[in-house]
Order: sequence, then C-alpha cells, then structure tokens
Amino acid sequence: MKKILLFYLFISLACCEPDDICSESTLTTPRLVIEFFDIENLNDTKTVPGLFAVALDEQGLEIPIIGESVNSRDRIELPLNGNFDQSKFKLYKNYDINDGIVQGNPDVITVNYTTEAIYVSRACGYKNNYYLNEFNVDSDIDLWIVLSELSNNEVQNENTKHVQIFH
Amino acid sequence: MKFKMKIRNMSRYFIKILLVLIFSLPLSSQNDINKNSNDSLVFKEKYGLRLGLDLSKLGKSAFETNYTGFEINGDYRITKRLYISSDLGFENKKTNTDYLSSSASGGYLKAGIDFNLYNNWVGMENLIFSGLRLGISNFTQKRIQYNIYDTFNQTWGQIENQQSIDYNDMTSSWIELLFGVKTEILNNLFLGFNIQLKVRMTEIVPNNFENIYIPGFGRTYDSTKIGTGLNYSISYLIPLVKKVSEKSK
Repeated sequence: MKKILLFYLFISLACCEPDDICSESTLTTPRLVIEFFDIENLNDTKTVPGLFAVALDEQGLEIPIIGESVNSRDRIELPLNGNFDQSKFKLYKNYDINDGIVQGNPDVITVNYTTEAIYVSRACGYKNNYYLNEFNVDSDIDLWIVLSELSNNEVQNENTKHVQIFH
Repeated sequence: MKFKMKIRNMSRYFIKILLVLIFSLPLSSQNDINKNSNDSLVFKEKYGLRLGLDLSKLGKSAFETNYTGFEINGDYRITKRLYISSDLGFENKKTNTDYLSSSASGGYLKAGIDFNLYNNWVGMENLIFSGLRLGISNFTQKRIQYNIYDTFNQTWGQIENQQSIDYNDMTSSWIELLFGVKTEILNNLFLGFNIQLKVRMTEIVPNNFENIYIPGFGRTYDSTKIGTGLNYSISYLIPLVKKVSEKSK
C-alpha cells in the first residue's frame, strides 16, 4: 500500500521535463553549400583568395549576409530565400575595401529551386528544405568562375556540398 | 562531490520516511479501531451510481483563455472494493510556441475500473483508490500558423505561413493509471481528487505535422509517449442497493 503510494507520487513528480525549447543540435533550415575546386585538377578543392558573398534582392540591391566575412576558403554556405524560388548572390574573389571603394572580382550566381516546409517538432515548428533545379553564373566580361555544376539537388543539411564551382 | 551525493541521498531518505509516515498514520490508526470495533451492530453499505463533474476543467476553462474543457465522471460499485468507472469529456486547447500555433479540439471516453485501497471505518464510505482506464479520443488537430525555423533568416527575413489546416478525424488511444481519493462531505455527496499517468498506445499522426495536444490525454512530448493529468471532481451517489457490510457480519 505504502509502496504503491510512493510509486505514484514519485512518477507524478519525476516525469516529463518540458521540451519547449528548440535545441541547437536540431537539424533545421539548411544553407546552400558550395565547394570550390581546381579547374586544372577537377578532384581537388582549391581555395578562393579573399572570398566574400553578398545577397542580391529582386531589384539587384545588395543585402549583407550575417556572419559572412572576407576569408580565403574552399567552401561557403549561403542562406536561400524561402519566400521565392530563386536567390541571387554576388561572389567576390580578392575582395577588399580601399578608401571606401570595393575591389575584387564579383561574379553573380543565380540558384533556382523549389521549397518544401517540413515539420520538425513542437518547439522548432517547421524548417525549409530545398530542391535545386538550376545553378547559373551570370555572364560578365571578367568571370573568375570557369565552370559550375549541381552535385546534390536536395538541400536537407549542410554536411555535403550541393554545388561545385571550378576556378 | 561525494559529500553532495551523500546529502542528496540523505534528504531523499528523509522525504521517503516522511511520506511513509504521512500516509501510514491514518491507515494504521484505522486498523486498530477496526479490531476493537463492536460487531453486534449491522451496518449497510451503499451500492449505486455515482455521477460527477470535473471542477478542475471548469476552472481552467474560466481562467485560461486558450482552454475550454468539460468532463463528467461516473462509477458503479460492483463489489466491496471494485467499481466500474467511466469518464466522458470534451476539450479544446490552443498551444502557442515561438514558431508554431496550433489547436486541438474533440471528445474522449475513458472506461475502466477503480479499486478502493482504503479500509473504512464502519459506516463510512470514503475511497483512496487506484484505477485503470482505457482512453480513446476523436479530435481535430489544427495548424493555425507557423514561422519557418531558420537561424540564418537575417538576410531574407522571417518566413511566416498563415495558411491554417484542419486535420480532421484524428484518433488516439491510451492506457491510464489513476490514483486518488473520494471523500463523502455530505450525505451521498463526494469531493474527489486524482492524478493520472498515461501511456499512449495508438494515434493517427497528421501528415507533416504532429498531435500537439490530444483531448483527454493532454499535451504530448517529443521524447516520450507518457502523459499526465488530474481531476478534481464533485460527485453525487445515487444509492440503488444497500448491502450488509462484510466487516459487520
């Protein structure tokens, strides 16, 4: 009898911690991952010196990407716009600001995709996943990007690259 | 570290002792009196249908803007200690988190037994009982609104979806363990309190969503199929039969 009482009290008090906070380890909306490869040796990654990215809205105005900084690297993560089926970015090589004048070589890339909202949990709600349809480099007179290709259409996490750029 | 553990263990031990003492006091005093009671009198115990109303759900409905609920309870005594028991109710609960707003609305039925663990004084009919129920619910889960969870949404802005969807005809079933008391405060009028521990057995899960709240079961948890509940009820016993108490024979 007493044991039963204790058992009930214990369970009613001990059970059920709240899970109303979306934990940081939860896989939520991923960014587009681009990796840069050597055009002369297609299997090897190649660092882009002074790589920097800004987003472009529909009018072509620049929007800063939070957390993005000028950095020489062979990989970049870009947030896609879930409100539209297209995002544009300006990718700079050798980015620098000299006396207020931006220097470097910008290439404009366009990503076309479809967006799907996927339920995660009560605390995180929904995340977006993207299915990539097209990846283009807008033509200009001085392209540093030689070649690009989609390597994984499904943007579900940031563990694998979705786009390869050769330079 | 070891010292801390020791203190924790000791305090646990004391709490346990305290609980045992609290609960054993009325029980043990009870037994003593029963032994000495005079057997020459004949007492009759009431058997009948007890109908009740859950006051906690009425109170919650009055004070919480996101909740409406109603529950009636019934039990029928079949032996000295055993009751068949049933609860019928309706709940409408809106749940808001930072990224998601939803509501659940529907009815439920719980049926099972209550077993009285209490040795009453002769002539009294209170209960300290443990119960078992099978619960079923039929409800509508509604997704009202959500914001896409995106930690990198500063660039393009937060994406909201206001498109509300009704997921009709969701069902769920669960098993419930109860523990509670019922005290006769006036002739045939009882006040009762019980706590419930539930384990979800089945549920229809809406496509690309989940059941955030299940009427009768309560809120759900990501990590477990367990739920909890409570009931604070007032009930009236309609005595149908009077039987001679086994004790007084």
